[in-house]
Amino acid sequence: MFEGFWTSQVVWNALLIGGAAAVLSGCIGVFTVLRGQSFAGHALADVSSAGGALSLLLGINPMLGFFGLGLLGALGLSGRRQGDGDLAAGILLGAGLGLTALLLHFAISLRNSTGAAAVVMFGSLFSAPPGAGALALGSALAGVVLLGVIHRPLLLSSLDAGLAAVRGVNIRLVAGVFLVLLALAVTLSAMAVGAILSTALLIGPAAAALRLTRRPGLACALAAGLGVFCAWGGVALAYASYGFTPGRVWPVSFFIVALVFCTYAAASLRRA
Amino acid sequence: MRKTGLAMVLVFGTGAAQAQPVLHAVGLESQYADVMRQIGGPYVQVSAIEDDPNTDPHEFELSPDVAKRIYGADVIVANGLGYDGWADKLLGNAHGEVISAQAVLKLPDSTPNPHLWYDPETMPAVARAVAAAFAAKDPAHAAQYAANEKAFEASLQPWVNALAELRQKYAGTKVAVTEPVADYMLQAAGLNIATPFSLQAAIMNGTDPAPQDVSAQQALLSGGGAKIFVYNQQVTDALTVSFLATAKGAKLQVLGVYELMPAGAKNYQGWMESEVAELGRDLAGQ
Repeated sequence: MFEGFWTSQVVWNALLIGGAAAVLSGCIGVFTVLRGQSFAGHALADVSSAGGALSLLLGINPMLGFFGLGLLGALGLSGRRQGDGDLAAGILLGAGLGLTALLLHFAISLRNSTGAAAVVMFGSLFSAPPGAGALALGSALAGVVLLGVIHRPLLLSSLDAGLAAVRGVNIRLVAGVFLVLLALAVTLSAMAVGAILSTALLIGPAAAALRLTRRPGLACALAAGLGVFCAWGGVALAYASYGFTPGRVWPVSFFIVALVFCTYAAASLRRA
Repeated sequence: MRKTGLAMVLVFGTGAAQAQPVLHAVGLESQYADVMRQIGGPYVQVSAIEDDPNTDPHEFELSPDVAKRIYGADVIVANGLGYDGWADKLLGNAHGEVISAQAVLKLPDSTPNPHLWYDPETMPAVARAVAAAFAAKDPAHAAQYAANEKAFEASLQPWVNALAELRQKYAGTKVAVTEPVADYMLQAAGLNIATPFSLQAAIMNGTDPAPQDVSAQQALLSGGGAKIFVYNQQVTDALTVSFLATAKGAKLQVLGVYELMPAGAKNYQGWMESEVAELGRDLAGQ
């Protein structure tokens, strides 16, 4: 069932991208949940899908496309107060998906991108370009380091913005940097499980971790660990699915998201 | 395409230079339209719907103009097997006669490889059905249609002979492919297509390739027994590009093939002849 698993380049590439996405998304996800910005995270993912489509159209690295549009989305969301943030996110989400529809149309009809829509929206870890794994890992490490640098003011402003302001924290700057990190996390998750499903990797492991512990640092580590479990478990199950229906593998994204759901459901059984 | 049409008029229209087209016909793919032109001569105005070799025919999108052309045609040739599934509803409403290569060859819907025009059996059967349909719609020129059809079948002989020659020399030789585009031709040449069909189907349909299949293909390409690598130039993605790099790294002969008749080809039989000639050169290691 797992014959040739460890010698397959495709598998290693998938493990690297999935692991990198899970680690950064887990850590960023904890703060996203604490700040009540799950919806903003989802909106950024949908906007970034336009970047994924654009990268197919232009033939550039998909990560560049996802991140570029994700950054634009973050720019659109920054400086919003908590109240009208949801509204802005909703408007942005619609505009982003509309743009995706247009760009996908051109990518499919002008360039020979079979299955482009499914790849951008639902991911395709087993067909990620070789070499994408190393890039994803590097970006995830950079993101985790940057999060480490701002984690104190970020945590304070997430839990009590008034107190943070009194303590001299530049709330807008911290919020802006966080949105950039959120865009990066969403980008990596979109590479792994697709733009639409990236929310699952961002929110699921983090929410499960916060059910198990209230300590933010521990929650980050736990969320990253649970995320990696889901991502690698998903890759392994998809590999094994070669035998389920002869000659074809089930989508990796399905298994990863299913594991995320089960993880959250299991964590919910425990009263935090 | 228009220019080839004009050339056909000049070639086949001797003695009927002033003839006005009597019938309108549509080929959903350019290769079928080309065969219809050869049989119809000056009496049939033929147009092709899918004739852009730079796009993926599996992802064709419909426009109102296309719908109008299909609705107004007297005879339409489709491939079938879901390859031109976008046209199914239109063909149901068309008032002209619809000829499907799949139906002509009596193939079940479960046939996995839709690229029928690479099979030497396909076009003669389609050509006969086309000639019969033209004759039924325009009995006045039935004799010309029948003569043109005979001439077309005869002109396929060099291609068929070349395939038979390859079969004698190279039967059983292992080849690797991306999509099943030219599989029927490779099989007709007696070659052994060693790439798992599940991988070919995943690439053709844009679904997740199985890592097991990718590993098998990489092994095949990097010194694992494949003599040549047949590559669909019309539809590429990151995976097929990485296969191409592996094949080139292992100094394999790479044969590029097309799904639709390329613009530079003189006609269908010329296209097939040049592909089999290149296949022969690659097998000979030249």
